[in-house]
Amino acid sequence: MSAGYRQQPNSSRKDGKRVAGKQVFPPPGSGGSRPVMKERDLDYIPKSVGGKEHQPAGSHIHDRIRTGTIVGKSLPLVDSNAKVTGQAWYGDDVRLPNESIGKILRSPHHYAKIKSIDTSKVEALPGVIAVATGADSPSSFGVLPVTKDEHAMAVEKVRHMGDLVACVSAVDEATAIEALGLFEIEWEILEPVFDPKKGLEDSDEPIHWRGKYHLSKTNVQKRVFQEFGDRSLVENPYSSSHGKWTMHGVHHGFTEPHAVVAHWDPNGRLQLYTPQQVPHYTHRALSTVLDVPMHQINVIRTFVGGGFGGKSDPFPHEMCAAILSRKSGRPVRITFDREEVYWINRGRHPSNIEVKMTADEEGRISGFDIDALIDGGGFASFGHVTSYYNGVLATAPYELGSFHYTGARVWTNKPASGAMRGHGAVNTRCAVEVGLDEMAEEMNVDPIDLRLANLLPPHSRTITGFRITSNGMREALERVRDGSDWENKFRKLPLGKGIGIGCGFFISGSGLPIHWDPNRFPHATVHIQVDMDGGVTVHTGAADIGQGSTTAVAQVVSEVLALPIEMIHVRSHESDTSPVDLGSYSSRVTFMNANAAIRAALEIRDKLLNAAWDILGYHPNTLVINDRRIYYKHDPAIGVSYLQALHKAQEDKGALISSGAYRSPPMGGVHKGAAAGLAPAYSFSAYVAEVDVDVELGLIKCTNVWAAHDCGKALNPLAVKGQIIGSCHMGLGQVLSEKMVYGRTGHLQNANLLDYKIPSIHEMPHVEPIIVESSDPEGPFGAKEAGEGPLLPILPAVVNAVYDAIGIRYNDLPLTPDIVYKGIEKKRKKLKLEDATELPNPRYTHGPKSIELQKLLKKRSEEHRKRDIARQTTEDTSAYVNGVLFGFDPNIPLEDQLEGWRMATEPDPEQLAELGLAGKAWLKKEQREMGGEN
Amino acid sequence: MTPKAPSEIWSAEVNGEPVETLITSNAILLDVLRDQVGTLGVKRGCDLGTCGCCTVMIDGDARLSCLCLAGQVSGRDIVTVEGLSDGAHLAPIQTCFAEHGGSQCGFCTPGFLISAQALLTKNDSPTDEEISIAIEGNLCRCTGYQQIVDSIRAAAEIHRGEVEPAPPASDPHPNPHPEGPDEPSMPPGHAR
Repeated sequence: MSAGYRQQPNSSRKDGKRVAGKQVFPPPGSGGSRPVMKERDLDYIPKSVGGKEHQPAGSHIHDRIRTGTIVGKSLPLVDSNAKVTGQAWYGDDVRLPNESIGKILRSPHHYAKIKSIDTSKVEALPGVIAVATGADSPSSFGVLPVTKDEHAMAVEKVRHMGDLVACVSAVDEATAIEALGLFEIEWEILEPVFDPKKGLEDSDEPIHWRGKYHLSKTNVQKRVFQEFGDRSLVENPYSSSHGKWTMHGVHHGFTEPHAVVAHWDPNGRLQLYTPQQVPHYTHRALSTVLDVPMHQINVIRTFVGGGFGGKSDPFPHEMCAAILSRKSGRPVRITFDREEVYWINRGRHPSNIEVKMTADEEGRISGFDIDALIDGGGFASFGHVTSYYNGVLATAPYELGSFHYTGARVWTNKPASGAMRGHGAVNTRCAVEVGLDEMAEEMNVDPIDLRLANLLPPHSRTITGFRITSNGMREALERVRDGSDWENKFRKLPLGKGIGIGCGFFISGSGLPIHWDPNRFPHATVHIQVDMDGGVTVHTGAADIGQGSTTAVAQVVSEVLALPIEMIHVRSHESDTSPVDLGSYSSRVTFMNANAAIRAALEIRDKLLNAAWDILGYHPNTLVINDRRIYYKHDPAIGVSYLQALHKAQEDKGALISSGAYRSPPMGGVHKGAAAGLAPAYSFSAYVAEVDVDVELGLIKCTNVWAAHDCGKALNPLAVKGQIIGSCHMGLGQVLSEKMVYGRTGHLQNANLLDYKIPSIHEMPHVEPIIVESSDPEGPFGAKEAGEGPLLPILPAVVNAVYDAIGIRYNDLPLTPDIVYKGIEKKRKKLKLEDATELPNPRYTHGPKSIELQKLLKKRSEEHRKRDIARQTTEDTSAYVNGVLFGFDPNIPLEDQLEGWRMATEPDPEQLAELGLAGKAWLKKEQREMGGEN
Repeated sequence: MTPKAPSEIWSAEVNGEPVETLITSNAILLDVLRDQVGTLGVKRGCDLGTCGCCTVMIDGDARLSCLCLAGQVSGRDIVTVEGLSDGAHLAPIQTCFAEHGGSQCGFCTPGFLISAQALLTKNDSPTDEEISIAIEGNLCRCTGYQQIVDSIRAAAEIHRGEVEPAPPASDPHPNPHPEGPDEPSMPPGHAR
């Protein structure tokens, strides 16, 4: 071992002089735009390791590996140059030599049996290359293994208008379109079901048949019952609210229509190009449908022109392209038009939601009672999970006395609903937050104080047993309250102007990998390779859908290795080269992939430090890693360049390789459905929205939004702000203008972007994004999700603001002018007013009791504030489960709690009579219990 | 009806280059640009003139190529997103979109860039209202528009000459084997 390698002063200055004590390190020659080492950026190095970065309360497990390189700095997305030059290649931009154009024949009927298909005329048309029908795709698939109910093309019957019947590929688009008119099909029309309430009843021909697990002969796909807590607390409430909501279907509205290119290469392998959020599910489904082993399929993710959940199912058109290509031996390109995008749908479920809640005289929330009937459309998609999310994601961030949830998802003859940004949580969250506002009004207390006095602390468990780690809810609420000047506005603005509050809570990565046991396989794996040139290639399956997952992965690797981000190359497009990854859904990518990437990068970093140890003779504990250089802590002049260390480490071995994986810790309970909604961390958000309501026209304009989101740690504040503002936009669409309109005959009437009203720039309010950092103990550098959670609070914030403006509660979203106007007219007539401008708007009507309660809430939230800080800084590490506020002992397991405590996933027979709308599904029996199919 | 083969000669200047190709008489400009000229940066989002992804500049005006027959614009000067940069350097509007978060998934970005550039070419100090009007025909589902407006404002500053353009990312790296600056940057704590 050398005695130490001292960098020599650079003697090659232009004037030939040497400056005593000032040395230049040899250029590392390792790329990047900066030729010499930069100083450490102390503003981005945490205080605990000698920097200046302010640290929020909480644990900081990654402090030791922070190098101040890039984490926490606003940074353009690494692929933004491809996007601004028009060179990003989306699905339809993949043009292979000798390609053919595929088109899909869609069902003209809502519900019908296919008696026969005659394709002879299609095949005879000059220019037609291949034709396929349901007979070519007998195997079913589906995104969830428990509900594989889709086929590439209808096998026996079509289940909604626009369902896939057959497909054809031809030399050009015009020929393919003409061919679609030549199919001769004999139909037997069946009686369709459109109303989800009807779906709860027995039918002659259920849309799907699940054999012995089928619920009587209904169209119920999934029913859920959950009851937690002490139901006796609900009796004799001090205050209560009751809301019955109608929420329409909402579509993701991504700008890129679905597109796919399939090509069976000369080696007999399928190369499939598709804009997918979850290429791995497509990979699995293709293998099943095509009957080809997975290793003979390469799924190539193109750039994704917006996903929001709408591109996370394996899609039948992907199978169609593959089948046509297999038949013809030519590449097949299928691109949807906008109408087809709505036929394939997977948007938010149309929902009928009923929420009852109660509070006691101390202002504690004694019970949530939620009933959600959701309209699944023709297929299951993610619906199994959505059925749970509608209930379980509505509980936190509040501490509840009891929670009762009944949910049911039914099949109807409409395009399938599925996962959409804020999956399953959005609609009930809106209903719950508005319900809280109603209770606050009844009790005459400030709704923000009511919330602040009922929050779960950090490091606690929700009523359904979810483990909460970091929790920035309180800070978020306080910051939007102060930022919006709430005290001077709420209940004090003139008629037509209002301000409202909403909160949210969302998973940061689903704790259950759908296809495998999380205890056996990791959630995410990342491979890193560093070769002699010094560039770092990162292989990950994380699918960048515009949210910047590629950037996040590059950032964390860049931070750990202290290399400029230009030296990090993320390869995430091909299943051939990327490790298996579940892709971009459930807000999992930053949390899980970045964690895996950190682990892989740490392995490389250890190898570099050990090599530097070899050269310098100083133990790695005493070495500092900074911009392309590793040096001795106490004398920075003693050091090696990154390349020197790298080449030393490569001796005898060649390129450095590492692999890092992330697996979630064991969490949560063991009851049925315990895994739904379970996540290694949760994000929290609070919004205040200000609206102007034109009482004569019924037109609502949202003018200002203060949007605080707890994302743990903003790895890239620019991207986090973009996600917050974008979420506001999408949520505003749902609350003010967007809905999928099904006519009297069940026909989707607005399958285009003209009639489906996505907010344009004129409808956007000014959004003030507020980033709250609570530093999650398990997140990468403390980070949690920021993509879906920020959508939740905007809906209730707007609905509550509308109430503050005109004193009318609306329970029918979206709040289009016709609905708002009807509500105003109704109230005007009821109050016998001449003019709508005379409407009274709500004001506090304090009495001695409410003033007392208000004081109590303030006092409690002040106490809880101290409690939260103590728990966040781990001064207080005692156990805390939901219910402590009501006197439960957190040290006793949930099931052994006080007498009234209950945890049930099936209703007692005596409860059956009083269940809500969706709860009616529990009146039916499964076929096996009825002695049906075994 | 069997589709007819393209038979009409169509010529125009696309991104400064003369282009000549055979089209059918009812060809849509968007299809000609994507399928024949090869400017795949022009995106197809809706085919209905609602999303603005297919916006191109025709003689300096932002126009929707999906609502335009190719025959209507033959001989005109067409600029797509590919024509905004000069190859080696990105246009200010492009760097600003990257740096201010104006582009997330990027599918609507070409349309926004063209709309914004058409505005800035005519008016380098647009008000927020003017910016809103310029991009009202473009839908973006990711950004909520706020960072797009930020990007356009920043680009306007560069157009007015108030701010130096950031060194474009497409610049070649500086001398890969430099001699080093006179005042080398040193790690903190080094004894001088």
